[in-house]
Amino acid sequence: MTAEYDVEFVETGDRKARFLVRGVTPAFANGLRRAMVADVPTMAIDEVRFIENSSVMFDEQLALRLGLVPLSTPPEGEFVDDDTVTLSIDVEGPGTAYSGDLVSSDGLVQPADENVPIIDLKDDQRLEAEADAVIERGKNHAKHQGGVAVGYRHLQRVTVDGDLPEFEDEQSRIVRGVIEDDGELIPTSEFDDDLSNRYPGKEVHVEDVPNAFVFHVETDGSFTVAELVTRAVDTLEARATELEEAVQL
Amino acid sequence: MMVPVRCFTCGNVVAEHWEEFDERANEGDEDPEAVLDELGVERYCCRRMLVSHRDLVDVVSPYQ
Repeated sequence: MTAEYDVEFVETGDRKARFLVRGVTPAFANGLRRAMVADVPTMAIDEVRFIENSSVMFDEQLALRLGLVPLSTPPEGEFVDDDTVTLSIDVEGPGTAYSGDLVSSDGLVQPADENVPIIDLKDDQRLEAEADAVIERGKNHAKHQGGVAVGYRHLQRVTVDGDLPEFEDEQSRIVRGVIEDDGELIPTSEFDDDLSNRYPGKEVHVEDVPNAFVFHVETDGSFTVAELVTRAVDTLEARATELEEAVQL
Repeated sequence: MMVPVRCFTCGNVVAEHWEEFDERANEGDEDPEAVLDELGVERYCCRRMLVSHRDLVDVVSPYQ
């Protein structure tokens, strides 16, 4: 790759961010997207032992619900593939069992969302269970998928060609994503996704900027967006190193 | 029966917003569209999870 590599943030947040990457090939951009979705390990409940379940739902259904609750994932290297963390839940009706009622044996692994209803319990119903959380990858099960709705699109450059002919009706011109205007990055939501709002009476044309991609990344709460992206890059690097070693003479 | 924990399509956790949505839009008389916007449930795949959900625990519990 010869082009200068550069990252610029458009929107930043803990769980949701948009950033521009310049100087990467479409293949690399897609590789990064796929790594974020399928290759970053996260914690999730995988096995549940029920001690008592007198609720209206079956054990298996509750185990699925518990598995889908996002858990905060410890720093890289803290856990290896076969490590487990035990979480327990004990709730008696009447009332609702929430993901926040899960008690973890390890402070690093906690439910990321505390308000997820697991099961509504009526009088004399009780849920008591022990669950083992494991660290796995998104390609094995969607519950281990740290990145949610990860995608990218080309950065678009808008250039003004001149004025519209005097008697021509203005037509709306819908563009989505982020546009570049004189080096300035503008999300299209700022002008309601319609170029005729931003350039009234002008003739414009839109083109893709080569090798510049605007990523939209959200996480399920297991970690921050920054963490997800760096870990995805690390897994790509690890795989590239592995390949290099494997093909050496 | 209970609200799905995650959106079927994108995997976003939607269940945490269910109780507030139910209280304000189903029980209350607020506009569901405005409530969803406020809760930050943006995509239509996640929105349909909440809009089309019906809690059935109360319906089944007598037959336990």
